[in-house]
Amino acid sequence: MEEIKNENTSEQFPSEDNDDSPCKAVIEQLKNTNSELSDALRAAEEENRAKSSFLSNMSHDIRTPMNAIIGMTSIALTHIDEKPRVLDCLQKIQTASAHLMDLVNDVLDMSRIASGRMTLCEEAFSLADMVHDLMIILRPQAALKHHNFHLEIGQICEENLIGDPLHLRQILVNIIGNAVKYTPEDGAIHVNISQHSEQSAHTGQEAADKVWLDFLCEDNGIGMSQDFLQKIFEPFERVNSSTIGRIEGTGLGMSIVKNLLDRMGGTINVTSEEGKGSRFCVSIPFAPAPPPKDAQILPVGQTVLIAESIDMRAQQIASYLKDGGMESVHLKNGMDTVTWLTEAQYENRMPCALLLGQELNDMSALDLTTHVRELAGSDFPIIMVADADWAQIEYRATRAGINAFVPCPLFKSRLFAPLSELTYKMQHNRSDCASREVDYGQYRLLLVEDNELNREIAIELLSQTGVQIETAENGLCAVEAFENSPEGYYDLIFMDIQMPVMNGYDAARKIRQLPRKDAESIWIIAMTANAFVEDIRLSKEAGMNEHCSKPVDADRLQEILRKRLSSED
Amino acid sequence: MQPYQEEYIANLRDIAVLTTRINPDCHSFDTYRDTLLQNQRLIEDKINRNIALLRDELFPLFDRLFEAGPDELAQLEEFAQKLLDGKNELDGGLFCQIYQALLSRARHRKDHNAIIRCLYWLGIGHHNMCGKMVGLDWPDIEYYMSQMRLCFAEAAAYLKYYDDIDDIETKGYILRSRANTSLGQFKSASSKIRLTRQTLTLLQDEEFQQKTPELPWDRYIYMTHQQMTSSISYSRDNDMTAQDVTAIMESAHIVHRRQIQEAISNSEAPPMRSAFSCYDIEYYCGLLTLEELLGRMEELMDLADTSSFSSDTIYTIISLPAIYCKYLREYPEQLSGREKYLESLYRKIVAYTKAYPANEANEQIFYFLRQAATTFIETANSISYGEFQQTMLIHFAPDIYVHSQVVGKTAAAFCEIIISEDPAFFDDIAYIRQISNPDAKREAILELAMNSGVFHDVGKINFTSLYTRTARQWFEEEYEITHLHTVVGSARLNACASTRRYAAAALGHHSWYDGSHGYPESYRRLECPYRQIVDVVGLIDWMDNSMSYAWLYGHAKKNFDEAVQEAIALEGKRFSPLLTTRLRDKAVTRAIRQAFDTARFDAHRQLYEETTPHMKSSQDIIQL
Repeated sequence: MEEIKNENTSEQFPSEDNDDSPCKAVIEQLKNTNSELSDALRAAEEENRAKSSFLSNMSHDIRTPMNAIIGMTSIALTHIDEKPRVLDCLQKIQTASAHLMDLVNDVLDMSRIASGRMTLCEEAFSLADMVHDLMIILRPQAALKHHNFHLEIGQICEENLIGDPLHLRQILVNIIGNAVKYTPEDGAIHVNISQHSEQSAHTGQEAADKVWLDFLCEDNGIGMSQDFLQKIFEPFERVNSSTIGRIEGTGLGMSIVKNLLDRMGGTINVTSEEGKGSRFCVSIPFAPAPPPKDAQILPVGQTVLIAESIDMRAQQIASYLKDGGMESVHLKNGMDTVTWLTEAQYENRMPCALLLGQELNDMSALDLTTHVRELAGSDFPIIMVADADWAQIEYRATRAGINAFVPCPLFKSRLFAPLSELTYKMQHNRSDCASREVDYGQYRLLLVEDNELNREIAIELLSQTGVQIETAENGLCAVEAFENSPEGYYDLIFMDIQMPVMNGYDAARKIRQLPRKDAESIWIIAMTANAFVEDIRLSKEAGMNEHCSKPVDADRLQEILRKRLSSED
Repeated sequence: MQPYQEEYIANLRDIAVLTTRINPDCHSFDTYRDTLLQNQRLIEDKINRNIALLRDELFPLFDRLFEAGPDELAQLEEFAQKLLDGKNELDGGLFCQIYQALLSRARHRKDHNAIIRCLYWLGIGHHNMCGKMVGLDWPDIEYYMSQMRLCFAEAAAYLKYYDDIDDIETKGYILRSRANTSLGQFKSASSKIRLTRQTLTLLQDEEFQQKTPELPWDRYIYMTHQQMTSSISYSRDNDMTAQDVTAIMESAHIVHRRQIQEAISNSEAPPMRSAFSCYDIEYYCGLLTLEELLGRMEELMDLADTSSFSSDTIYTIISLPAIYCKYLREYPEQLSGREKYLESLYRKIVAYTKAYPANEANEQIFYFLRQAATTFIETANSISYGEFQQTMLIHFAPDIYVHSQVVGKTAAAFCEIIISEDPAFFDDIAYIRQISNPDAKREAILELAMNSGVFHDVGKINFTSLYTRTARQWFEEEYEITHLHTVVGSARLNACASTRRYAAAALGHHSWYDGSHGYPESYRRLECPYRQIVDVVGLIDWMDNSMSYAWLYGHAKKNFDEAVQEAIALEGKRFSPLLTTRLRDKAVTRAIRQAFDTARFDAHRQLYEETTPHMKSSQDIIQL
């Protein structure tokens, strides 16, 4: 860029050659100002270029799913009598809508960060749950591109942490999501999650009040140039490469990650080589949360049989079992497992459980399960430890005789929970009967929503569960309806936030303040299009129990009902 | 045995004869057809009777099996042994059910002798089931192989307590189970060989032999050597060690020597099978090149006496060409120059099959024919894969042949009605869309519909006994096995250029229109450009099954009008509304009913012509 010049200055001021001139300082100052203005202009132009590019990309990115939605709607209308075709179109519309929502959320997130309105919350969360959620989100994306996606769990000192889980998840999803996006098909993505304790500056000992979560994500994707690496955290920047022409995104993800990490006190280190791949290392400090009160009763001193062909996984299981005071025996073949169990049964030294990997050297674990279930009896605990998608194999697995499933990446708490429950049940000779069916027809909920169409949709979705529904048109009507009802009349309230007369936050607060027993205990679920994390925090501060983003989806509503009403049973 | 058990067995034997559909007495076609229809009614009566016998007698026994007395249990085992005696199968599925029930009882009572015996026989039952799965891919058969192997493995685990067990027979079961752990296919050849080697070491252990000298150790050892030589078909795998190869060579030598001795003592020629095993080993060890091995195989195949129907000749004429073609498939460069020889081989197989005495037990020849079908290679002048399959069906599964013909012709008739109303109905299929001449397009659609129907059940060849010999309703496990016929059929049709277009119908004809039920999962209707034709074949197949083979599915047999009404009731769920809506038109249903009747009549005539000795054409006479 050319330097900005002021043509008139030489006429108004004496010659620069005169060193003693009092104007020299002024000239020097003007030069500096000129240079600063020049830099500012360059920066502004650069920002402008990035924003133009962003707008151009965004128009394309928004148009793509919008086109899909319009196109699929048109196809569905044309084939309205062909139910499978319509269903297929609707599923594609659902996917495109979700993607559109993600784009909008990213832009709005960045806007919140830029305006300083973003806040972090401090709450206890389970790292195991978080990693499990991550896998649910990312595994299908990686599978679509046939990536070898491997998430490994290293040393974990504290599974329960205090921090902002939603923002942590956003950081991890953004980084791994980029790896998936920018790695061509059949690539490899390796993620490692571990922890280390902070060393005290004075004693060199581990400080008990802080745990660092170390996250590493490596891929063999397209990588980044050194030039791009310099500005990777600047908003609206995306890798410019012909090979990724079709990759959608706002170019805000890494900027959001950096901002969030700065606020959380974390660090990020990125190395990359064009054509070879990238490596992201993130460390974030968290406070450990107190351990859960309900201690598990483990079969201490007993033997657990591990049938698993992957040595590393078996070693990890054995190590966890040892920590829990149990012995283990490891076998890799189905035939050896049956031989071992037959001998153990004959000699009356049966293990307290069988932990099964997904695939053995000589057969599939499910094939083995069918036989072991008959050999060992109906109350013998058989637990599958695998990184399979449980939903995909659940029917076959439970039919074969698997009692419980522990997802991988493996966390100690996840392994111990079913082991404790099943061995306890077996020892107390309790039958492991299936959970009974819940009839939601006996429950009543109050749906507070000012928009008539939204109200209709929510009633339609909720009524599928058989629950009784009453409605209110604004916050004030809701408070009155609750106040005028007998105690325990409502089992839960779905509350819109932005409503005339009284908004949802105020209504929730009013309900909580009412002098009646159920005012404290009634579940209130925020049902709102305000999908930011602070909205969730605000709803919690107002006394709400759950948050359900709009547009509402049937699964989420039913999940909330299940969660609340089943626990009430 | 109990009287009901004897009656059940007698019915099975009668049904086996009645289903052959042969016409040895050279009746006229009208008489033949009358007999055929009369036999069909007889078969159905016997099947219904057998179902009643199981419901009224056997299942109540299962209910109170824990209280059953020793006589009842002994009779039950005797009954089971008649159903599957190791070589001949009358009802392998029921055999497994009985031993599964007896095993549960034995486990409940912690009766180790009974547990071991039941595990052994259940393993044999599973092995029989695995035998039907020749040519299937490993993922499709892994479950059944594993179940078989685990039964034997559990029984063999009692080897550790050999001295604690008093019963000699039980000790025999333990040893036989140990040897049988290496039966069937494995993920890796070396696993099988090492397991067999360990068994041989154990059986040759004198200490064991001295503990129970009453047992036929020589027989156990020889059979294990045979088991080892059957590993040869895996010998192209690269994960075997020198020790593995040595073990196979030793076993092959022992088996070959013994077979030659037996042949000499019976004044017979040395068996070809054994000779091939030796050549194969020599090839594996680098003593023969592939070219040389193929040459030796050709010599053996040329030596076969086509007028003989001995086990060894059947092997040489049908199974050896199957192995020969397997090599040619693996090494296609070897095919060049061998096309004519290959064509003559297939002609010989077809002629030999047609000449095979119809009253003979045909399980073995049928097994080998399935091998040949699995490795079939189509060349420019060879018989087509379709022709080969039709020959197999006519001679070994005539009911499936009739059903396939009926579905093909009726599907074509239905398609003709559809395209007369909507000529672009099948335009999702690219090659149909590209035909601009209306007459040519019509011909192409009718050809596709006809052959998609004719070949839709090709996969049933692998499970013929489940379809044509199951004289009762299927058990759940059998029903699940039969699901594989869609996958198998599709794979076979896809492998040959002349039948590739019909593979979609083989895969998808049991899928549901709305995707809520049906099988297999690998068929995704909306992604299949042939879906409209698959829908037609699926509907006609379902209608014919409902009218002819309902008992297998546990449904009442329907007449044509009932089948039409039920198809309409399943509109939009199982069947495409684009098809069922046409079934509301009486003129259409009249035409379809007519197509069903004519097609069945024609199929019976074809059967008559193919199975009546004087009707056979001169070209079928084998040229020696």
